[in-house]
Amino acid sequence: MNRITVDQVRDEAKNVRTLFFRWDHDVKPGQFVMVWLPGLGEIPMSLSYVGSPKGITVKAYGKVSQAMIDMEPGHEFYIRGPYGNGFQIESGRKLIIGGGSGIASLLPIADSDTDALISAKTKEELIFTDRFPESRLFIATDDGSEGFHGFPHEFLDRLDISVYRKIYVCGPEPMLYRVMQKLASMNARAEFSLERTMKCGIGICDSCSVGGLQVCRQGPVFDIEQLRNNPEFGISRTTYSGKRVYLNMK
Amino acid sequence: MADLSTSVAGIRLENPLMLASGILDENGYTMLDVMNNGAAAVVTKSIGMEERNGYSAPVIVEYGDSLINAVGLSNPGIDNFAEEIRIAKRSGKPVIGSVFASDAESFVNLGRKMQEYGCDAVELNLSCPHVKGFGLEVGSDPDLVEDIVNEMKSKISVPVFAKLSPNVSDIIEIAKAAEKADAYVLINTVKAMKIDIRARMPVLTNAYGGLSGPAIKPVGVRYVYEVKKETGKDIIGVGGITTYEDAVEYIMAGASAVQIGTALYTVGKSVFRNIISQMNTFMDDEKFHSIQDMVGVAIR
Repeated sequence: MNRITVDQVRDEAKNVRTLFFRWDHDVKPGQFVMVWLPGLGEIPMSLSYVGSPKGITVKAYGKVSQAMIDMEPGHEFYIRGPYGNGFQIESGRKLIIGGGSGIASLLPIADSDTDALISAKTKEELIFTDRFPESRLFIATDDGSEGFHGFPHEFLDRLDISVYRKIYVCGPEPMLYRVMQKLASMNARAEFSLERTMKCGIGICDSCSVGGLQVCRQGPVFDIEQLRNNPEFGISRTTYSGKRVYLNMK
Repeated sequence: MADLSTSVAGIRLENPLMLASGILDENGYTMLDVMNNGAAAVVTKSIGMEERNGYSAPVIVEYGDSLINAVGLSNPGIDNFAEEIRIAKRSGKPVIGSVFASDAESFVNLGRKMQEYGCDAVELNLSCPHVKGFGLEVGSDPDLVEDIVNEMKSKISVPVFAKLSPNVSDIIEIAKAAEKADAYVLINTVKAMKIDIRARMPVLTNAYGGLSGPAIKPVGVRYVYEVKKETGKDIIGVGGITTYEDAVEYIMAGASAVQIGTALYTVGKSVFRNIISQMNTFMDDEKFHSIQDMVGVAIR
């Protein structure tokens, strides 16, 4: 484990905070680390900043992430990694589509030729919208409190997808699945960053698997071609104990 | 061209390489993928009577090229596992159901279910905790081992493999207690711990874990050799196999097949085809025509 000291923190939204730190290790956009808080537990986290300093954007949902939300400069945590297959970045016009805190994983690939579609359940949960000029920003909220009223896959009907060389997507699996179906029907070139329950983070425990692929190893980033016929993506997953449950999203 | 096929307790394997229990074998699609990557068979995650979350993370420590794990027998419970077997069986290759319990009756119930689900054999995980507690394993109690194996053999018709723990003082005594089993699987993990000196505490949530990987290969080879020499029974070797040389060493010690686990971490799923290809070359060079020609040749 590598001991990390928090240098700086920034609140992004209610219950969302970015922790900045120094770590002399190359991390590719889309890769993740396992974050350990001794005595509390270990969780996978993608990096929202991969240069120097590095940054992790945390949304509180369990005891480890809640403890991270409460961290201040000088506080410590431990990490191992980085792990996984990151984004294959290409020059040319990009579209990034982030659902909820998923936009954090996509930040490192945004450049001056990137459009962003940022979605959330409600406007209070939108993050990183200030990172893009208005001419390159699209917003969607489930409840219509800001931007487009509806889901990202619905908003895509309003865009000319053909102008984008590649599209990069990260968010909750139901959103990813519907966006994948829409983009596949448009024959778009795209990559998706998936998230599933993780335990080992290194490709041996089978917790995060999706149709034979391990999200921690062959992923988290998958090409759309790997997902369109995957027997589990958007269909079923396994719980922490390993029991198969169906997502019922058809 | 050497013939890499082999058999254990009457189960035909197209090559000697199996996937070990506890590694990439919780999800049927993953087992299918591992077999599509060249494994001749898979052993499932060890399944108990009840659904069990096991330990919260951290459950793994990377220890050089080896691993220390404490997953805590996380499993969906036998009643929720039928579908995974069904999916894995699409490969057309043998699927061996691993089971754990603390008494003979529960082992038998689990074995029956695995057989009913279509498993080609049942592997008894005897490294699970003894009801007496004190850190004891079922597999350290020869009377209990004998009872479990005998009950299994009298109640189910598919082959029964006894996976023996290395954490015992006399492996031969335990092997003899399990002599009614159709084959032995040697070895399970070695008891271990990793402390982070900056955090000043054990890394694993459970503190204790099981060491697997190349670090334990010499222990596994010795136990295979010792038990084969003493009993002559079919053995499947497991513990630290990452190269064809490792696999051949286990086979020369007396194993008829080997299981691969931790190498999925260091090498990935390609480890199966890598070993098969290189073992083929080795056998041709050394003039071994079949796996059987190599089994136990190192025994003096």
